[in-house]
Amino acid sequence: MRRLLAFLFVVVSIVSCFGASGDDTGYQWNLPKGFPKPLVPADNPMSAAKVELGRYLFYDKRMSVNGTQSCASCHKQELAFTDGRPVGIGATGERHSRSAMSLVNVAYSAVLTWSNPGLKSLEEQALVPMYGDHPVELGLRKGDRFIAALRADKTYPALFAKAFPTEPDPYTVANVTKAIASFERSIISARSPYDRYHYDRDDNAVSEAAKRGEVLFFSQHISCFRCHGGFNFSDATVSERNAGHTVEFHNTALYNLAGVLSYPLPNLGIYEYTRDPADVGKFKTPTLRNIALTAPYMHDGSIPTLEGVIDHYAAGGRAHDNPNRDHLVGGFQISREGRDDLVEYLKSLTDEEVTRDPQFADPWPSDATR
Amino acid sequence: MSSRRSFVGVAVLATVCGSLLCAQTPPATLVVTGDVATPLTLKAEDLAAMPREKVSIPDQDGTPVEYSGVLLREILKRAGAPLGNQLRGSALTTYVLAKAHDGYQVVYTLGEIDAAFGNTTILVADQRDGKSLFEYQGPFRLVCPGDKAGARSVRMLETLEVVRLKK
Repeated sequence: MRRLLAFLFVVVSIVSCFGASGDDTGYQWNLPKGFPKPLVPADNPMSAAKVELGRYLFYDKRMSVNGTQSCASCHKQELAFTDGRPVGIGATGERHSRSAMSLVNVAYSAVLTWSNPGLKSLEEQALVPMYGDHPVELGLRKGDRFIAALRADKTYPALFAKAFPTEPDPYTVANVTKAIASFERSIISARSPYDRYHYDRDDNAVSEAAKRGEVLFFSQHISCFRCHGGFNFSDATVSERNAGHTVEFHNTALYNLAGVLSYPLPNLGIYEYTRDPADVGKFKTPTLRNIALTAPYMHDGSIPTLEGVIDHYAAGGRAHDNPNRDHLVGGFQISREGRDDLVEYLKSLTDEEVTRDPQFADPWPSDATR
Repeated sequence: MSSRRSFVGVAVLATVCGSLLCAQTPPATLVVTGDVATPLTLKAEDLAAMPREKVSIPDQDGTPVEYSGVLLREILKRAGAPLGNQLRGSALTTYVLAKAHDGYQVVYTLGEIDAAFGNTTILVADQRDGKSLFEYQGPFRLVCPGDKAGARSVRMLETLEVVRLKK
């Protein structure tokens, strides 16, 4: 009997451990070598059914107040889940103040959006475009009939039932955000030429120019890697191996307006949350994966090309006298050939497969009314 | 102290080089110079013929990576740096300035390397997971598995300059 109890204790302990990582549903990440397992909230473990439901919701325009936009309107697969605009435009035509961030590898983001140090949950973040009104994005309002619309669609009953099999009525906003978050976490980008070069050791996967660019990327005098380091090319990266990582935000000297608020309103960086003048203009480091697909660049889309971004950093920032300028943005010398090599290296981070993988694509028929 | 702050602290020793220099492929030699009896210019085949060691360290994202190469202690011993019985008195003021192709520099003391003192494992690596290093790392790099931060694991290692402060 004691042996049986001990055995059961071990079994329960093992199950509990998996539960804590939110991965007790047998979900297969299919992560390549070099990619750690993402952190998943214990109350929203990954499942294939939730990911699939999330994909339908992600592409469903009934998620907006006037049926014109879905999450995918600002996060287009072919653009590595960005929209190609300097700033996003919501369902009612209102312009966002910042650009839509890429969703590739968002499962590894320690914090979400450009400058909210407290927003760490994709489930919570999904509510911002759904219900936020500064600015209006999808423009939903509490009590809107979008849940009823989902319930009435013949596609959803089976999807919701499989995703939330223990719930008698799974049609809730909380479950919608859980499913969308699960889908977003599933968008792993790891099949770029860089990945084949580094993780598969295929020396022919990238060009010689890209290899020279990598030397520059990691060189002491340019040091792109200090902010864009690690497998996800961002110092705002967390995973099961690196759960306690402290996120740093950086002022890259884009602006230096007169007065304490040296950045143009409303984009003040994490100052909006900390109210510390030293935090004005500090933003998160975005991933560089698929960066060649996500122009224009910076939080406000104010630099149109990768060459322009390199020139910006080479100059120590276009407003290099900003008092909050990060000490890592000190400027450097680079030749035209070196800049071209660096751009080639950045292009080697483009994962074409993630931009056309059917598991991330719009599942709705083109003639669907959603 | 965060690893970034550690890095920046060490980086004070670094110097800046021109971009054209950095874009060139590092020479496939490792020079041991300074206050040594036998200055060396080592090639990959020289390291291949020396006693080989392996260490495993986590990559930036925690992935274990196995590096192989030759202990720094062994290379300095062959150059005639004061180690073992010779490491006493003023010889303990000796340090090694490790210089990278891009100008990055860090310091190790002989005391921390010597087996009778710090006995710290520091590897001059030329292979990563059984293959040559990537161009941005090699052909030689230092690997310091005892360091919590990676800033002393100099990539593109070019020169080991031994300096004795008190003669």
